[in-house]
Order: sequence, then C-alpha cells, then structure tokens
Amino acid sequence: MLNWLLNSLPLPYPDAVVVVGTAALGFVAGALGPLLVLRRRAMFGDAMSHATLPGVAIAFLLAGTASPGYLLLGAAASASAAALAMTAMVRSARIAPDAAIGVVLSVSLTLGLVLLTHIASTGDSQQAGLNAYLLGQAAGMVEQDIALTLTLGTIALGCLLVWFRLLRSASFDPGFSAVIGARPWIVDAASTGLLAVAIVLGVRTVGAILMVALLVAPCVAARQLTTTLARLVPLAGLIGAAAGVTGGVVSGKAELPAGPVIVLIATTVAVLAVLFAPRRGVVARSRTAVPATRDAEGAR
Amino acid sequence: MSTDALMIIVIAGLLSTACAVLGSFLVLRRQALLPDAVSHAVLPGIVLIFVLTGQRGSMLTVLGATAFGLICVAGFEWLRRTGLVAPDAALALVFPALFSLGVLGIGTYASGAHIDVDSAIYGDLTFAPLRTVELAGQAVPRSLLITGGATVAVAILVVVLWRPLKASTFDPGFAQSAGLRGRVVSTVLLLAVTVVAVVAFDSVGAILVITFFVVPAAAAHQVATRLSSMLLTAVGIGWASSLLGYRLAEQLDSSIPGSIGLASVMLFALAWLAGRGRGRLGRFLHRGSSRDTTTRTTIPVQQARPSESHATAAPSRDR
Repeated sequence: MLNWLLNSLPLPYPDAVVVVGTAALGFVAGALGPLLVLRRRAMFGDAMSHATLPGVAIAFLLAGTASPGYLLLGAAASASAAALAMTAMVRSARIAPDAAIGVVLSVSLTLGLVLLTHIASTGDSQQAGLNAYLLGQAAGMVEQDIALTLTLGTIALGCLLVWFRLLRSASFDPGFSAVIGARPWIVDAASTGLLAVAIVLGVRTVGAILMVALLVAPCVAARQLTTTLARLVPLAGLIGAAAGVTGGVVSGKAELPAGPVIVLIATTVAVLAVLFAPRRGVVARSRTAVPATRDAEGAR
Repeated sequence: MSTDALMIIVIAGLLSTACAVLGSFLVLRRQALLPDAVSHAVLPGIVLIFVLTGQRGSMLTVLGATAFGLICVAGFEWLRRTGLVAPDAALALVFPALFSLGVLGIGTYASGAHIDVDSAIYGDLTFAPLRTVELAGQAVPRSLLITGGATVAVAILVVVLWRPLKASTFDPGFAQSAGLRGRVVSTVLLLAVTVVAVVAFDSVGAILVITFFVVPAAAAHQVATRLSSMLLTAVGIGWASSLLGYRLAEQLDSSIPGSIGLASVMLFALAWLAGRGRGRLGRFLHRGSSRDTTTRTTIPVQQARPSESHATAAPSRDR
C-alpha cells in the first residue's frame, strides 16, 4: 500500500518518500501537540526535544554504530529522563518551572555538545550523520523511516484515542481528574510518553532545535478555529500534515532543508489563524469591538 | 597556562558575569527562557548583515542581531497580548520560526562562506584569542573588548537601576504605584538581555546562551538569601565554571563552551543539594509552592474561603 501511494504521487520517488514522511510526522506531532499547549507546557516540549541529543550521542557510544534504531531508542530514553527530571524538580518545589526547564535544557545541550564534539574528535568514521539530529535531515529518508513513523504514530494516536477522556480532564481540570481517581503521575507519564514518541519521530527530520514548533504551531492554529478538544486534535493533526506536505514539496523543489521550511509554513498558518479566525481572531474582534477581556475569559 | 587559555577563560568569565547578573533577575521574574528564544532568533539578523555587507562580527552584525532579538521579543509580546495564545506557546511559536529563517538564509546565501551553521550553534570561543583588533598599539582580541564592554554596561545598568529593578522584580504592583516605572525598567531589562544574548551568541553559539543566563542564576537562587548575595554568588559560579569548564574541555578534548556549561550544571547540582530548605529566597519559593499545596488541600474543605485556606496551609508547609 505504501508502495502504491509512493508511486501514485506526481513526484520523483525520493521526493515522494520525503513528502509522505513529513505528512505522517506532521499529523502525529500536530495531533499530540494539544497535550503540551493546553497544559501550558510548550517549552517543556522544547526541553524534551533538545534532550534527545545526549541520548543519541550515548547510544552511539554504546552501540558503536550510527544505526537509527539504537539512536532513536537512546533519544526516547533521554527525552523521557529529561521530562522526569523537570517534573521532579518542580514537584520538589525548590525551583520555578521555567528555571527548571532552563536547567534541563542546559544539561541536555551541554552534555550533548560535549559528547558530540568528543565523538567527532575521536575521528570515528561511523559518526557521520549524528549532526543531522540537531537540525534534521529529511532528504535522507527511506521507506523504512515512513513505515516506522506510521507504525509508532498509529500506536500513539491509538493511545490518545483510548485515553482521550482521561487526558482531556487532566488537561482542563487536573483537580477533577485527581478526584475521580486518576493518579496525576500516571496521566503525566502517559502524556509524556506519547510526546516522546512524537519527538523521537521528528528529531531526525526537523531536528532537535525546531521540533517544538511542529508540536505547538498546528495546535495554536487549530485552537483559533475550534472550541472542543474532540475537534482540536484531528484539526491540529491535519494542519500539521498539510504543513508537512507543503514543506516537503517546497523543500524538494527549491533544494532547501525541509525542517525549517515546514516550521515556517506551520508558523505562518498559526499567525494567520490568530489574525483572521472567525469570531475569535484579532481582525474579527476589532470589527465587532467585543471587549478583549470578555473574549479572553471565553478562551479560557 | 598559556596566554590564549587565560584569554578564553577571562572572556568566558566576563560573559558569565553579564549573563548571570541579568539571568538572576530573569529567574526571579519567571522569564528564564527568554534569552533562549532571543539567542535563536538573532540568527537571521546575523545572516542578513552578512549577505548585505559581507561582514561577520562587526558592530553592524551586533545591530542586525539585536534588531531580530527585538523582533522576537515584540512578536512574543504581541501574541501574548492578543489573549489568544498562552505565553509559553507564544515563545515556542516565535523563536523556531526566526531560527528557521536564519538556517534557510545560511543555506541559500551564505554557504561556503565564513559563516556556517556549526559556528552559529557551537560558537567560536575557541578561536576568540586569534581574532584581534589594534587598540593603543596592541593586538587585543575583539571578543574581549565586546564582552568586557557588555559586562561593564550591565554592571552600570544594575547599579543605577538597582531600586526600581528590585522593586519591579519582587512586587511589580508596588513598583508601578511608587513611581518607580516598573514597565519602563522591564523594557530596559529586556533590551539589555537582548544585547547580551547577541554578544553571548557570538562567543558560545545559539543553544548554550540559555546555560550562561540561567544555570548560575538558578544555582545562586538555591543558596542565596538576599538579592545582592544572589547576584554575587551567580557571578562567582559563572567564573568558577569558566575555569573548571576550560580544564574539563582540555581533559575531554571537547567543546569549550559545552564543557563550561557542563561545569556550571555540576555546580548547580551542588547548590541544589546544599541549599535545601534554607534561606529567605528559599522560603520565598516555598511560598510559591504552598499555593500548590493549597489547591491540593482545599479539595476536602472547599467551603473554606481561599484566604483562610491559604493561611492555614502555608505554615504547615514551612514546618
């Protein structure tokens, strides 16, 4: 089926692989984005995606080869460890969330850079391609990558569907979800795990630095267009997928790196939504002259 | 120790000083992630100046980078003020877009030239002693001048604006009503952060700027009891990590800015362990955390007025 899809696209085969891959990634990342944005944890996701770097480096040092399987496993492990560290630091109430995120970002980046430069200085010929995890590289995508994205993405979206009610109540009313007996740490672990999947799928394509935009921008755009979570999740996914497709095609045609192009398109869509969304958007609001405060309350 | 090594340590130490002082205020104001966003967002400014004039590392570069840092801050403020996007999402929306512009600009216009993605990400602190300018007949590293100037400027700024800065950090409402111009001071602080982030970007690259701003400040926050001692501790930690980090980089044959960051992270861990449950600033933080405990403890007694439940919950946390 994948073959049929790749062949039926009006694009050369390598470009078709990239476009299908970025579309699948865009959908998964967009649909999981609300887990971050609605809980006001966008920069938490940024720290998690940066935290994939030391995981990639350590996995390379342990495995001795740059095979993507090991490296992505390492990336997932260290992204989850970073999430755990941030939660623990904030829970122990000695440090504000933003400073905790800053410290974890710093640990990840310094460790990642020190390990990567150390690996580079050993002159190991296998180390080529590690740098791609920083800024991403969609051009190197092969069919197996798409299969991996589709498999893991489907599993993650399936989990999102099954746990939808739980995650919804935890996003909007943590107190309520605690009262009905959902342990906060289980919900946290579930949403962090899902995000880790999306991030790990994305770091090779758009890179650790830009990954957060792929999670946040589609959700911000979709949030301006709908008011229910049941519509927000698929809409954010579709916007992400659309950004992925357009970005993939444009970057293939113009020979630009795909990650930045996708991010710019997704951000443009988000800003346009903020400006021109019906009823809620800046332009619509200034026309009907609804007091900003009332609308802001409604948004909450 | 060679002169070059000493020069690198001094530049890193000066940079840490400026970053740690401003970072302390940002940590206390819960704006710790702003320099991270700014340091990513300045990349297109540097590329633009390079494309227009072919210069890299001149005063024009600093101006161009600062302009884009301001665009980042302005965009963030605009998105936040619309009330449609939460502050954290606004930040996560603005800086990746600007960074993407920079990466695309490097790829399209500046590839193969002296500017490349690696030096934008890793910085060129290692080669800082080699790039010199003539000053009073002597060859002085350019970075030393820029970093030193920025540090002196930050020190003067903080000394001159000490009272309004302090007031608007701890009690913005009071600062405004007492005529201390809290909002003006906040804007000045943001401007200073942008300029220093640009200077830091030149030396340590886009992604380590956050380390220099936040980690020494957060470490000092764990142990210090007063604002003035927090600033001094943060500066001390900055210098100590510059020295330790350089040694570490020599041992590991690795990135110097990365090792300096790693050293400051280690010092943060020490401070975190040492500062547990002590000090006035610690209690200030505890007051913040007691708000969490109130939401947890008020669930069974929801009839209680918020003020009462806060009053009962706060001491129980302190004990």
